[in-house]
Amino acid sequence: MKEIVVISGKGGTGKTSVTASFAYLSSANTVLADCDVDASDMHLLLKPELISSEDFFSSDLAVIDYDKCAGCGRCFEVCRFKAVSFELDKFKISDNNCEGCGYCANVCPSSAITLVKQNDGNLYISDTRLGKKLFHAELGPGAENSGKLVAKVKNNAKKYARENNLNIVLVDGSPGVGCPVISSLSGANFVVLVTEPTTSGIHDLSRVIQLVKKFHIKMGCVINKTDINYKASDGIKKMLVAENIPLLAELPYSDNFTHAMIKEVTVAEYDKGIRSMLQDAWDKINNLI
Amino acid sequence: MKIAFTSTGNSWDSKIDPRFGRAEFIFIYDDETKNNDIVDNSGVSEHAHGAGPMTAQIVTEKKVDIIITGNGPGGNAARVIEAAGIKVFSGAAEMTVKEAYEAYKKGSLKQS
Repeated sequence: MKEIVVISGKGGTGKTSVTASFAYLSSANTVLADCDVDASDMHLLLKPELISSEDFFSSDLAVIDYDKCAGCGRCFEVCRFKAVSFELDKFKISDNNCEGCGYCANVCPSSAITLVKQNDGNLYISDTRLGKKLFHAELGPGAENSGKLVAKVKNNAKKYARENNLNIVLVDGSPGVGCPVISSLSGANFVVLVTEPTTSGIHDLSRVIQLVKKFHIKMGCVINKTDINYKASDGIKKMLVAENIPLLAELPYSDNFTHAMIKEVTVAEYDKGIRSMLQDAWDKINNLI
Repeated sequence: MKIAFTSTGNSWDSKIDPRFGRAEFIFIYDDETKNNDIVDNSGVSEHAHGAGPMTAQIVTEKKVDIIITGNGPGGNAARVIEAAGIKVFSGAAEMTVKEAYEAYKKGSLKQS
């Protein structure tokens, strides 16, 4: 079983459009995982039908037991998130502001504060119109993506793939270089970097390359919207040569990315030219893993 | 010398867990005493963030000399491990613990 993860560093480079197209072009032996949980949108293109849903508990919320609380206000003093306030006759913790760090619980002389795990969202397994299973998640308001959530989504997808003898797990990773991205990379066999020729696109690409190198994972790059700035595209290509990273595809700027989204299909289904470029990229990936 | 393997189970035949921070088990082998010390690391996965440094803390406290894993630790964990003077060998993802140990002895694993 091989795990292919698509990441971008910068958001808005077309990562999910590319991943969803690969999902369309991939063989029937593929399982899909959407680990871009903060703003998951692959499901919009794949019309999932829910098979199962599971609650996801992750963040902690500090809760005061008023039978034990002596009203000393140590919690109010130490909270850096302004989550503790004094209202009428007692200290209260705001569930919106509490980060679950546990400082208050640690210093409370009456041991009146406990941390309670919160239901942050749901983990889903769905059937898609492509005939492939999609493992995804949805967060509640204010909840954030985490390495833990990404690991859960990925592990569910990998377990399903193993049990059903499917050989490819295709993962839509999250943007950035932080905890959720590291979690989506760990255990991967190949990383697809989707970038664009803009200053921030190049900057974030170079950071993400450094990160992937730490994990010794093979990678390849897709330059999207290459014709919006040829000079910058050339700069990216030089960087790829210096880093010994194969260029998988160079896609033109096209309104068809947006038109495809409006029609709720992948750009590979909507635009024949882009389909053949992405088919070529997908074939290259399969030869490299 | 103590060698720590990130593993998916608690035996020599268990597969290496390619992840470092969220590895399921840390299988520690002391090649002088020939003893195994197996740490169930699954609790670390229950933490939303900071899994890498937490596992790094565990291997540091166990005073291991070498870590054998799949992809290798991320930046934060690597800093802890480096400061503790522990060597990391990666690329053992598809192997069992036993195979990874043999590969290490043959010198076929990459030092990070």
